[in-house]
Amino acid sequence: MNTSRLQYRDTISKSIVWLLAIPALLVPTIILGYIFWKAAPVLDWDFISGTADGAGFGVTEGIFAQLLGSLLLAVMACVMAAPFALGTALYYRIYASPRQQQLLIVMFNMLQGIPPIVFGLCGLVMLVNLFAWGVSLLSGAVVLAIVLLPLLVLNTLAALERIPLNYTEAGRALGLDSGAIIWRLRLPRSWLNLLTGLLLAMARALSETAPIMFTATVFSGVVWPDSLFSPVTTLQTHIFYLAQEGNNPQVINIAWGSAAVLVLLVAAFGLIARVLKKLEAD
Amino acid sequence: MAIDPIHENFQQVALSSSDTVSPNSEGIALQVERLGLQLDGKVILQEISFSLPVKGVTSVIGPSGAGKSSLLRCLNGLLTQWSGSVAVNGCDTRKWRGGWDQLRRHVGLIAQKPVVFNTSIRTNVCFGLKSWRQRRHADELVEKSLRQAALWNEVKDRLNEPATTLSMGQQQRLCIARALAINPRILLLDEPTASLDPHSKQLIEQSMLQIAEQTPLVCVTHDLAQAQRLQGPVIFMCDGRIIEQGPGEQLFSQPQRIETREFINWSVCDCD
Repeated sequence: MNTSRLQYRDTISKSIVWLLAIPALLVPTIILGYIFWKAAPVLDWDFISGTADGAGFGVTEGIFAQLLGSLLLAVMACVMAAPFALGTALYYRIYASPRQQQLLIVMFNMLQGIPPIVFGLCGLVMLVNLFAWGVSLLSGAVVLAIVLLPLLVLNTLAALERIPLNYTEAGRALGLDSGAIIWRLRLPRSWLNLLTGLLLAMARALSETAPIMFTATVFSGVVWPDSLFSPVTTLQTHIFYLAQEGNNPQVINIAWGSAAVLVLLVAAFGLIARVLKKLEAD
Repeated sequence: MAIDPIHENFQQVALSSSDTVSPNSEGIALQVERLGLQLDGKVILQEISFSLPVKGVTSVIGPSGAGKSSLLRCLNGLLTQWSGSVAVNGCDTRKWRGGWDQLRRHVGLIAQKPVVFNTSIRTNVCFGLKSWRQRRHADELVEKSLRQAALWNEVKDRLNEPATTLSMGQQQRLCIARALAINPRILLLDEPTASLDPHSKQLIEQSMLQIAEQTPLVCVTHDLAQAQRLQGPVIFMCDGRIIEQGPGEQLFSQPQRIETREFINWSVCDCD
């Protein structure tokens, strides 16, 4: 095959790859640009730090309560899920037989695939109605924790796996048993990776709407939750409700503003996770 | 209350002494009989038999892939699917009280590449000690182990600094100190000076000779000059088998087998 023909084939394959890659890069960029362009008129410090006191809630005033509500739910869910995720990951590493390990991985991958709204529905039936916790911060956090659990388990497992083999072998050569290797070698060495996994789970929690819609949030009448059994307002559901008021341009602008803040929040968690990952790699 | 890990180790060996397989084990620290190993259907070691005296360095030489490192991992219990018998101080390692983890405390293994844990120099030395209390009251042990590993003078003023700040040679000596801190009956070293500078190599060799006055050492090495400097018996391995073994002087000056001669003269081995 002559050189010009080879070059021609190379150009063709390069063009196909570019044609396929460009939309994947361009579309999200355009969407993000559009969100921030639409949000620009309302996006200022007053909008972020303002708190509604009741009248005109969510329309004329800031989103601080929603922002805090989202963060509160995400943090509570992660705090609830993290010990169980760690316990499951440790069980997997120390005690589970190869068959049980296989079963656990299949189960958690399957759980990750279940639509979050299903968990929301279960939460509504079990926690809100049966346990009579009502639509509350606690119900939402528990449901969100269950949604996050498979992701956190898989993240924790990945963090524990990332320890070099020679590191644990040096521990084994000293006569440390499996438990000591986990507690004294793997966990201290992988805490940055574990934190990274936790932050990514927080980002995921912030992007979940369905599980909390039935179980934790209300649109109006609430600013701060009085207790664990009070409902809460969140950015995700705030955007959902505002978007339904499609005829009012002011409301839609506020929805764009809220969306931009939510995107920034998720991006911030992703960015911190990335920095931690880099720190660990160094 | 001061805790004595050495005493604890003596007690454990005494408890396991009923598992004696070699009645004539006096003066022998390690007895290996017909050791064989297969991994994924591939023969790694076959018919390995030798014994170690209670002190001195025994060097294991041979080309890459001869099974030297695998042999050490079998002796230390990191590999357990071998056949044959291995006895430490006359006790069958398969019947070792406390299992393989406990055996590994008595048969220390130093890897080729030093692996220090992400903690202080002091904590690294104490890492193998069992309880938190032992680790806390181990100042004397830390000093003794670091002195044995010829590292004390270099680190005595910075014991609380991260071990990762040490040079490669110092890290390797720290690994030796860490293994010594749990008072092993036998110490196995897998090319401990490979990729180290000549000064570090010399320090480690000196430290090995000093340790060998009390504890038997097995040192896998590619460096024939090093095997000669270590002065002890030499085992020549090729293709998973022991080709020749004997006192170092004799093996290097008058090798009995042609494969040994070829390896000593040209570092090649054709033993298939």
